[in-house]
Amino acid sequence: MKIIFYILFFLNSIPSFAEEKKSFSSALEDKKYYFSALNEFFIETYNREILNSDLKKLESLLFYTGIELLEDYDSELLLKYPTSSTRFILGRKAFQEKKFKLSLDHFSKIHPSHRYYPEGKLLEAQVFNAQNKLKERGDSYLECQVSAEKNESNAQNEKIKRYYRMVFEICLVNKARHHFKMEEYKQALIAYDRIPKKSYKWPYLLLEKAWVYYQMGDYNRTLGLLTTYKSPLLDTYFFPEAEYLAALTYFKLCLYEDSLIIVNQFYQFYRPRFQSLDQILKKNRSSQNYFFNIMFRPDEELIKEGEFVDQILTRMKKQTRFSLDFNAIFKIEQEIKRIEQNEKGVIKDKLLPHLKEVKENLITKINYNAKTDIFQFLDSIPFISQELFKLNLEIISRKKDLVYFNKRLIADRSRGDYSNIKRSRFEYFWKFDGSFWADELGDYSMGLKSNCQTIRNEKVEEE
Amino acid sequence: MRFFFYILGFYMMSLAYGDEQKVIYQYKKYEKFDLGNLEVKGQLIAPGDISVRERERKRFEMDLFNRDNFDSFIAKDVESLR
Repeated sequence: MKIIFYILFFLNSIPSFAEEKKSFSSALEDKKYYFSALNEFFIETYNREILNSDLKKLESLLFYTGIELLEDYDSELLLKYPTSSTRFILGRKAFQEKKFKLSLDHFSKIHPSHRYYPEGKLLEAQVFNAQNKLKERGDSYLECQVSAEKNESNAQNEKIKRYYRMVFEICLVNKARHHFKMEEYKQALIAYDRIPKKSYKWPYLLLEKAWVYYQMGDYNRTLGLLTTYKSPLLDTYFFPEAEYLAALTYFKLCLYEDSLIIVNQFYQFYRPRFQSLDQILKKNRSSQNYFFNIMFRPDEELIKEGEFVDQILTRMKKQTRFSLDFNAIFKIEQEIKRIEQNEKGVIKDKLLPHLKEVKENLITKINYNAKTDIFQFLDSIPFISQELFKLNLEIISRKKDLVYFNKRLIADRSRGDYSNIKRSRFEYFWKFDGSFWADELGDYSMGLKSNCQTIRNEKVEEE
Repeated sequence: MRFFFYILGFYMMSLAYGDEQKVIYQYKKYEKFDLGNLEVKGQLIAPGDISVRERERKRFEMDLFNRDNFDSFIAKDVESLR
């Protein structure tokens, strides 16, 4: 009797092994519906004890979906899932809310082998900077660079390599920026020079390096660096501040006419275009998708503004943030298509509304970021306009003084000599006489002599 | 007794009125100047270079924007990642 019972029990237990029920989220994950699986995973687990296997599963899902979706999740919920990814998100949130101690606590718990470790170190350095802990800030930047380089060399995909390169460069450049703030200009230049010219960040750094040279009093090098922006290769990079710095540098060299040319060009050419652009965009300030749409298809009004708008939008599309968000939208669209094609009505009704909502949220996010970037850029115009106006007044005042003291500047506009160029022993020199914009981009220097010496007019014209 | 108080009252009132002094305001009377009759003692010289002292004019310089940090650039870079 007992034997029969055992046999029956054994036979009865076989199907339970074979048909061990998978959770819905796991089934979705198997079908590679990662975004839907992520949502289901949270629904299944939020009100029960979290196991190690849950954390592993969450990490594996986030590997495909990215962590952008978690940004809208409640912090209390994310705290239930102590993974490196969630800690990164929580640390970032705490930093934005200026809860520095909490933020450091989260960042310190990101595992060194985790993919977000380098970026976590970058943010950790920001927290230390806010706390004015310079030693710790330097250590975090260094760790950020080391880990980003390591991750870059191990990355399989070109896009991921680029992401780690970007993190590495930001950590390096931030060090340079801190040196600049401490007036350690030579060290700042050493750090800036470690960024190769093919880097995405390089065109942006020309302006910063130009400021470093300006503060060092090497005005010729400042002007040379700013001239690089005139290259056809860099036509999408327009910085009003670069125009101001060039005008200011000419002013410092007492080359007032050159300075006025830049001031007038800004007022006659750029400012009216910025104003008309501002008017067009302001009309759509409250739209939820206008700025998202113009990233791909500028409307007729904007097309009239010509390549100028294209230049701003192209620059925005090169941002890592845009690339990550847009990639997530693309993946969600693919998932929606596959669900529509392959799944039955009940499953479609359950999954599609959520996916569409997530997609809309991401579009709103890109729209918001694009809008913020564009308006921040446009808002910088009045400030630069005002500074150029002040510079203009100062030039007029200096010119008036010359007349008042019956003096004139030592030279007219035909000036410049190779002997005025400062260079280190590692820098070679080529003349730039009608040459093509080429490899030497970013290494130009003017050969101008300061015109600030004045001489007294010998003859006073008499009527 | 009441009579005594009346007398004392009258006496104090008379003291109080007695303290006020009469103030008379009077404006200065016109003075006459005979400008034609005025005499200035000294030497008469023609104004020339020596009489104009050259002095340094006070220069007011504009407070022009001079970047001393890239803090906003740092914040923007971090934002541009996510």
